[in-house]
Amino acid sequence: MCGIAGFLDKTRRGSAGATLLKMLTALGCRGPDSAGVAIYGSGAGDVLKLRIKLGERGAFEEKGRKVAEQLRECGMIKESSVTGAYLHALLEPRVSARDVERFIESLAPGLEVVSLGRRLEIVKQVGSPQDLEAAYGISRFRGTHGIGHTRLCTESRVDLSHSQPFWAHGAPDLATAHNGHITNYHTLRRRYEQHGVRFYTENDSEVIGVYLADQCSKGMALEEAMKASLKDLDGSFSYVVATADALGFVKDPFALKPLIVAENDAFVAIATEEIAIRAAFGSEADAREAQARELKLWRA
Amino acid sequence: MASMTCDGRPTREINAEIKRLLAEGHAEIVVKNPAARHNLAVGVVQPCTLIFEGSVGYYCGGMIDGPHVEIKGSAGWGLAESMMNGRVVVHGNAGNAAAAAIRGGSVIIHGDAAARAGIAIKGGVVLIEGNCGYMAGFMGQKGVLVVCGDAGEAFADSMYETICFVGGRADDLGNDAVVATPTDADVTFLSELMVRHGVKKHVKEFKKIVSGRKLWNFDKREWKTWSEAL
Repeated sequence: MCGIAGFLDKTRRGSAGATLLKMLTALGCRGPDSAGVAIYGSGAGDVLKLRIKLGERGAFEEKGRKVAEQLRECGMIKESSVTGAYLHALLEPRVSARDVERFIESLAPGLEVVSLGRRLEIVKQVGSPQDLEAAYGISRFRGTHGIGHTRLCTESRVDLSHSQPFWAHGAPDLATAHNGHITNYHTLRRRYEQHGVRFYTENDSEVIGVYLADQCSKGMALEEAMKASLKDLDGSFSYVVATADALGFVKDPFALKPLIVAENDAFVAIATEEIAIRAAFGSEADAREAQARELKLWRA
Repeated sequence: MASMTCDGRPTREINAEIKRLLAEGHAEIVVKNPAARHNLAVGVVQPCTLIFEGSVGYYCGGMIDGPHVEIKGSAGWGLAESMMNGRVVVHGNAGNAAAAAIRGGSVIIHGDAAARAGIAIKGGVVLIEGNCGYMAGFMGQKGVLVVCGDAGEAFADSMYETICFVGGRADDLGNDAVVATPTDADVTFLSELMVRHGVKKHVKEFKKIVSGRKLWNFDKREWKTWSEAL
């Protein structure tokens, strides 16, 4: 099971948060374990937005304040705030994403950079989309596009880190959400780990972002990397992918997992079930099931 | 004619209301705002007309015997699955495994169908006005599958006695699918079918695809055929 959703607002009204909440609420029954969104808001030049996981559940103000202080001492931080399990910070990008991440993780145990990018912000946690809204008010997140996920855990742990969407660590603004099962996950993971890539979870879906980031770092355009993933990823998958300026989807060669696409002049909506599209947009835009091996990337 | 809405109601309640209205003697029911809910009008076994004003989710019209179901939107996976008799018409597109394993009646899709349309049909007629996806007609046992547009990959794979017709491209046939010449009776059947169901797409000529019957009986001397098929 699992539910995935993608939304691109062509009118640029910035309603990504509210729309994704409606879509995910409709998909809630497909994934009662956890819910999350990756939303692309407005950026401010090169300033990087960070969302750092302080702990699994609950309030972590004290810990968050200490981490923010340490970042401030290094002269990296511009602004910070703590909400729930997250420290939200704006950073001057003087070093690479990987170095920022390594530095932050060295500050205290249990810290994890959940998202990093000029526009990307990921918020996810154990619980329903309504719980996510109650904790973080995701409907108020402004953005031109975004992706979301409701998780029915089949193998790995149920916690914040294992929830989706996943940020592709090291690649600013690249996020993925997946429904299905990557059966060559362990082979791929071993290969990446031999090259020094760190995996943050035991969730097979994490490898999709790692794969796309790796292909892009070797010079592939995102769309080419998505095409190559049809060959290199095994198993059942429908996944959505987003960057600072694009939203796309890929469906596996056997069409084993559902994925509905609806597009008109105002928006692009992608969802595991049409129920999400009707919940967010009423009768607007015809829906169609994506075909096997189909992929598409829209510019935001 | 009776009318009802799905607003704020769970599937079980909607289906119970449909059956209650039928028991009261209404022959035609308009169901408003289905909003892509699953399992609507499953297991209705009496002649009637059910009109869904909007999209439906999975398994709409599954296991029905007799009704005419009309969907003024699109349909999710397993449309009319295992239908015994009746007619299911979708004005939009259909998801995977449309008309899977139907035994009779007709399923008309005016838009496109996704993967595995008409899989394992045991009778009846499936008519797709647009294109169909991967592996349509797989393991078809009887009945007819008509695709006015293009057929997807591995079309008509490993069939028994289902007969397929394709109006557009059919260049990726499945295992043991062979091209046959349509008979005069086939041409008459197709033109009547198109007129009856108001298919507007103009098709000059249909290709007929049937089973080559090579996979019907196992023969170890045909090792290559079998290793490819399996």
